[in-house]
Amino acid sequence: MDITVDHIDGVTVATVPVDELDASNSNEFKRDIAPVLQANAKLVLDLSRLRFVDSSGLGAMLSCLRQLTAKGGDLKLCSMSQQVRSLFELVRMHRIFDIHGTREEAMAAFHAGH
Amino acid sequence: MNEHATTETPVARLQESIQQHSRYSLGRSWADLSPRDRFNAVALAVRDEMVDRMLETERRYSGAHSKRLYYVSIEFLIGQSLGNNLHNLQLRDACRQALLNLGSNLEDIEEIEPDAALGNGGLGRLAACFLDSLATLGLPGFGYGINYEYGLFKQEIDDGYQREKPDNWLAQPSPWEITRPEEACLVPVYGHIEHSVDRFGAYNPMWMDWRVLIGVPHDMLIPGYGGRTVNVLRLYSARSSRDFDMGIFNDGDYFKAVQQKIASETISKVLYPSDAIVAGQELRLVQEYFLVACTLRDVIRRFEANHPDYSTFASSVAIHLNDTHPALMVAELMRILVDEKNLEWDEAWRITQSTLAYTNHTLLPEALEKWPVPMFEHVLPRHLQIIYEINRRFLEQVSAAGPGNIGLVQSVSLIEESSPKHVRMANLAMVGSHSVNGVAEIHSNLVKTALAPDFHRLFPERFNNKTNGITQRRWLLNANPGLANLIRDAIGDAWITDLDRLRDLDRFAGDPAFRASFRNVKHSNKERFAAIIRATARVKADPASLFDIHAKRIHAYKRQLLNLMHVIHEYLSLVEDGRTPAAPRTYIFAGKAAPGYWVAKQIVKAIHNIGRVINSDARARDWMKVAFVPDYRVSLAEKMLPAADLSEQVSTAGMEASGTGNMKFALNGALTVGTLDGANIEIRDEVGPENIFIFGLKANEVREIRQSRSYRPWEYCDSDPRVRRVVETFHTNRFCPDEPELFTWVHRRVLDVNDEFLHLADLAPFLDIQDQIAQAFTDPDHWTRMAILNVARIGKFSSDRSIREYAEDIWRIEPA
Repeated sequence: MDITVDHIDGVTVATVPVDELDASNSNEFKRDIAPVLQANAKLVLDLSRLRFVDSSGLGAMLSCLRQLTAKGGDLKLCSMSQQVRSLFELVRMHRIFDIHGTREEAMAAFHAGH
Repeated sequence: MNEHATTETPVARLQESIQQHSRYSLGRSWADLSPRDRFNAVALAVRDEMVDRMLETERRYSGAHSKRLYYVSIEFLIGQSLGNNLHNLQLRDACRQALLNLGSNLEDIEEIEPDAALGNGGLGRLAACFLDSLATLGLPGFGYGINYEYGLFKQEIDDGYQREKPDNWLAQPSPWEITRPEEACLVPVYGHIEHSVDRFGAYNPMWMDWRVLIGVPHDMLIPGYGGRTVNVLRLYSARSSRDFDMGIFNDGDYFKAVQQKIASETISKVLYPSDAIVAGQELRLVQEYFLVACTLRDVIRRFEANHPDYSTFASSVAIHLNDTHPALMVAELMRILVDEKNLEWDEAWRITQSTLAYTNHTLLPEALEKWPVPMFEHVLPRHLQIIYEINRRFLEQVSAAGPGNIGLVQSVSLIEESSPKHVRMANLAMVGSHSVNGVAEIHSNLVKTALAPDFHRLFPERFNNKTNGITQRRWLLNANPGLANLIRDAIGDAWITDLDRLRDLDRFAGDPAFRASFRNVKHSNKERFAAIIRATARVKADPASLFDIHAKRIHAYKRQLLNLMHVIHEYLSLVEDGRTPAAPRTYIFAGKAAPGYWVAKQIVKAIHNIGRVINSDARARDWMKVAFVPDYRVSLAEKMLPAADLSEQVSTAGMEASGTGNMKFALNGALTVGTLDGANIEIRDEVGPENIFIFGLKANEVREIRQSRSYRPWEYCDSDPRVRRVVETFHTNRFCPDEPELFTWVHRRVLDVNDEFLHLADLAPFLDIQDQIAQAFTDPDHWTRMAILNVARIGKFSSDRSIREYAEDIWRIEPA
């Protein structure tokens, strides 16, 4: 999976490069995001391409969050479509993740120490 | 309004539209279309007429900021739509002429339409009648249901036994449905709860490892009479989230991937063929949740489009639960408000209760839905948590009000403490709704006193009655054009939208000319139906004989057996006693038995066997015929009801919630023979006791016999030789010479002290009143007078009246 990684003002922004994150590709996502998680503590996942996520995809993102918080870092999500946002809300994951409208807002939240 | 309306005549407009659809929707000229495609072309042209009106209706509702009703029902028994839609749009004559211009006949094309059999019986047909009334009254009310691929099975008869055949009514897409893939919604099911904390340290149960279904809506347009208002019935199909689960597919298990896709789409595949006993079937639970989740997702989407927050939800939205099948709505609305919209529990609960209302449809204990907790948790883990929390808070209140009353707590708890535990859906619906209604006066009283007395003591203000009704547009105007025209000629057509106006017919009951015309209409309806009997049941029925019709689901409590015992009595009186009946009679039965209901299927067989003996006995030829007309459905009922002289409504008192067949028969000029059960009581009050044949035990007498365990069925045999002779027949092989002892079960059952339907207690009074009926039929003038008065005084039982009461008392919605 060709995850694009940008480093901006001390924050790493990784763009999920697929329309659907589900059982067919969530393991691939976990494998390819692992080096990013190892190398960084403050990560923003840009979900602007994502149109559908199933429980495997949500589980993969939850795994990212847990790895980062375990080492004192944090994960923020940004640029979700309404449908993806609805799925987060359906299963109460919107309360677990720090979700922002744009990557700028997500980075600003890191800088503000939230 | 239709934009073509001002430039063309309706005939020219429809004719052009039909031809356009022939060519451009179906790809052939009208002359080359198959009969089915001719129906499709006409239906598409009629649908076009409704679309503009539907959009205009929506503009009106939005402009008025109307409160909307969402009527949620696991069944909508629509039947055919073309005839009814044309009547309601007042385009029937125009369509007939347009088709004549094309060389075709409207009635022939109407016959081609398959029934949309998305229901089992009364509950589903009531929902369909209610949609017709909502639209006719201009009320913003929308139906929500499931787009079953297979409707209720088709009934075929093989050597007297019922055989079920699948009804794949969507094998060819319905021209009435407009698919809306852009409004599809996601529905998670299965999985487990992971107990965690959120970013702020609060408890946060997460729903993990769920499987997602997609609900795709299909809209059927529902025109009200006059065509000003066109509402929508939205039916959901389940689709898999993707063609295959590629993860499984990539692992090399192609068939497992296909199976998972099929499993997802199975959710809306088939209607359960019983309106009562489905508990314990996991697919049914998923089906019910699928309906609830799709409906609520749509309700929320529409609400949020115009409202900034949830403070006005309950004043903008009413959701009606047609029986307990959608009772999960209580938990789903709470889940959305608390989990997704972040409302505090108490505020969410206030909104939920103020929004939801529930109709109870049955007192039969086995029909009250309960789901095993382990299955429930497997399918809906988060909803089980919410139900436990609702229950905890509710039982706290109950305990506070009556400390130490363990019996009360056990009786009202949402969880039955059995092994395994069960979730009680009726309790959930009653706790989570602001209104609980029964469907006839007696039934509503029994809900309060027998079914849920503890709930009634806790919340007396919630309980009310809304007696069922039927739409006169389908059941008189469309089904019985001869009678409709006769009435129109006598008193005008105000009754089409105000059924109480039929009262004006009262004065015609004594008019010899009107009575003669009424009889002529009935006779021609009987001739038409006799042809159907001949074609389907292979029985030659004499239209001059008394058409005695027992048409409804086959069920022990509806007592087709009681009626059958009368048939046997008449036959034995004729052939053994030489007693000829006062009038020749054709005993007509129709109805489906649930495929897994042995007794009901045996009753179907018994009707056939008894009919075979009687119909082939030369001694009975001029006096008796017995016919079982197969595959009872809405379109058959529309031909059967107008032909009835006598309507059999003989359930054990206290067991039929309301019935609506009783109303349809009376509206079509049949006299009722019935027990004081369901709406029969109110029909008697309306038509007058002198114009109805009432017999048998009353509900309180039935209850007393059961409670005191004083039922001694053999005493009825000892005291009445007629009863003994009929009962003993079942101990012989008289009606089953080729299958010895086939009906001995009837003998055992009716002589059993545990016969909860008390057949023999009511048999002698039933035989007596049937004698009176036969005698009355020999006086055509008097019989016709009674029949006219039944029609004239049946106005209360319009579904327009029912819907007005629901709208004013429960939903608080108004015409826009």
